[in-house]
Amino acid sequence: MTKDLSTWLDTLLSELQGIEVRRKSSRRIRVDVQPDALPALLELLRGRASYVHLSAISCVDWIEENEFELVYHVWSYEIGSLVSAHTRIARNPGVYISVYDIYTPAAFFERDIHEMFGVFFEGSPDMSKFILTEWDGPPPMRKDFDSEAWVNAHFDFQDYQPDWLTEIEAKGGGVAVRPDEQRFSRRDVDAS
Amino acid sequence: MRPENYEAQRQPPSHEYELNIGPNHPGIEGNYAFKLRLHGDRVLEGKADAGYLHRGFEKLMEGRLWIQNLAITPRICVPDPVPMEVSYCLAVEELCGLEIPERAQWLRVLQLELSRIAAHLFTFGGHAATTGMYSPMFWGIADRDLVLDLFEELTGGRVYHIYNIPGGVRRDAPDGFLDRVGSTLDYLDSRLPDYDNLLFTNQVFVHRAKGVGTMSREQALEWGVTGPNLRATGLEFDVRRDDPYLVYDDLDFDIPTEEAGDAWARTLVRRKELVQSIRIARQVIAALRSIDGPIRCPIPNPLAWNVPAGSVYTRVESSKGELAWYVVSNGSERPYRTHVRGPSQMHAVQVLEKLSVGCRLEDVAQTMFSLDACPPEVDR
Repeated sequence: MTKDLSTWLDTLLSELQGIEVRRKSSRRIRVDVQPDALPALLELLRGRASYVHLSAISCVDWIEENEFELVYHVWSYEIGSLVSAHTRIARNPGVYISVYDIYTPAAFFERDIHEMFGVFFEGSPDMSKFILTEWDGPPPMRKDFDSEAWVNAHFDFQDYQPDWLTEIEAKGGGVAVRPDEQRFSRRDVDAS
Repeated sequence: MRPENYEAQRQPPSHEYELNIGPNHPGIEGNYAFKLRLHGDRVLEGKADAGYLHRGFEKLMEGRLWIQNLAITPRICVPDPVPMEVSYCLAVEELCGLEIPERAQWLRVLQLELSRIAAHLFTFGGHAATTGMYSPMFWGIADRDLVLDLFEELTGGRVYHIYNIPGGVRRDAPDGFLDRVGSTLDYLDSRLPDYDNLLFTNQVFVHRAKGVGTMSREQALEWGVTGPNLRATGLEFDVRRDDPYLVYDDLDFDIPTEEAGDAWARTLVRRKELVQSIRIARQVIAALRSIDGPIRCPIPNPLAWNVPAGSVYTRVESSKGELAWYVVSNGSERPYRTHVRGPSQMHAVQVLEKLSVGCRLEDVAQTMFSLDACPPEVDR
């Protein structure tokens, strides 16, 4: 990234109200932005600063602060730098605006976040389930979803005792750690 | 015919029908399904279905120590596992502020390039097999096995290496290893003309691949396509050169491109990348012979390793495109959140759905293989 372009980008970003810009290295910029200003920022980055490639949208569940953090990573082929735009939305009701009209690949990431975290994106083309088609539980990537407890409550362990194992056990061999002694076992459920 | 069926007989004949390919089908990569709506043999609509593969790696990683997660990372994409390991290690190193020793960096680059060669040979073979030619597939798998032998010698594992750890690599190359890598590279180099004769000058393959699944550069940029698929539309972009990591700055290599953007161009780009990867690997061997020193910097006790709080986004170039990790630490011994941006997430879902429309039925599998989609990255 040339020095001129670098300073030009810093000037452009400093024009915006309500955002905080931190340059982490020559090719990485972190921007913290209010949720209502994020689409305008992305539109500006794409339109005026050639950040045409949406690399990913990441979601982080900050359960203690009762917030979701959405991170939009955009890359410019011409300037050669990556901007990560961080914004935070309330965990309840967890609704945000889609950026599909700015970046087409956002459709996939928004669908994924909707499925895994339960954040609804208004205006996204397809919010149907993709991976968890037969899932009726809570969004599994949320921090308050305990997968071990869910498995214990919904599934039974089947005993697997084939003849060859019985023969080995008769001679004193066999399985070193029994299923009921393993960490992911039903021992807590069975005891209660 | 029973009377109740008479009504159905009087309906105008419909030529539209639905067809599921996969999740277990030789024309599909991995456990993946593709639902098609067809008119005759022309595809009207395609819908990707991720099926059941690996589930919840990101959630699993939240419950394991930083070091334990190394065992999960290569399983996300089996044909090309090394970039997953390396990029996760790069993320942890950046969070901890660790400086990797130079020799470890060169060893990582050697692994990355060998992995790229192995993955490309796999994809060639698969692509050729979808057009009915099995010889390139057998050859590709057999030649790939020689690379896996090298991995076994270096790391102990043929497919899941788990050789990188934050701070460096686990062990140094054994005696004579670099010579054996060199002779394997010579052999692979000598095989490339054979591949040209068998596949790239084969009229059947040329006719079947040219003009199939074409996308323009504008479409590729709009759809977020990366890697060889983007380079096949003429854009010369490679993370290794344009956003360098490790020692790629010191290496001399070209970035092959093609203009057509169809299945043929994509495969040709991979064929040209094999030459570049062999070239890079030879430079790495020469460098490793002259660089001595540690292969790992001092790291804290891995079982009680608290990574400083913060977040980092690292990306590398895998054989399928841009691969990135977003890793968040809250200062504890486990990651607070990890997010994988798999290189073929876009190719396997959105781009494949768009490119398959208007295709003929027999070209769907070929489009998928030429895009080099890796389903585990989608269903991670």
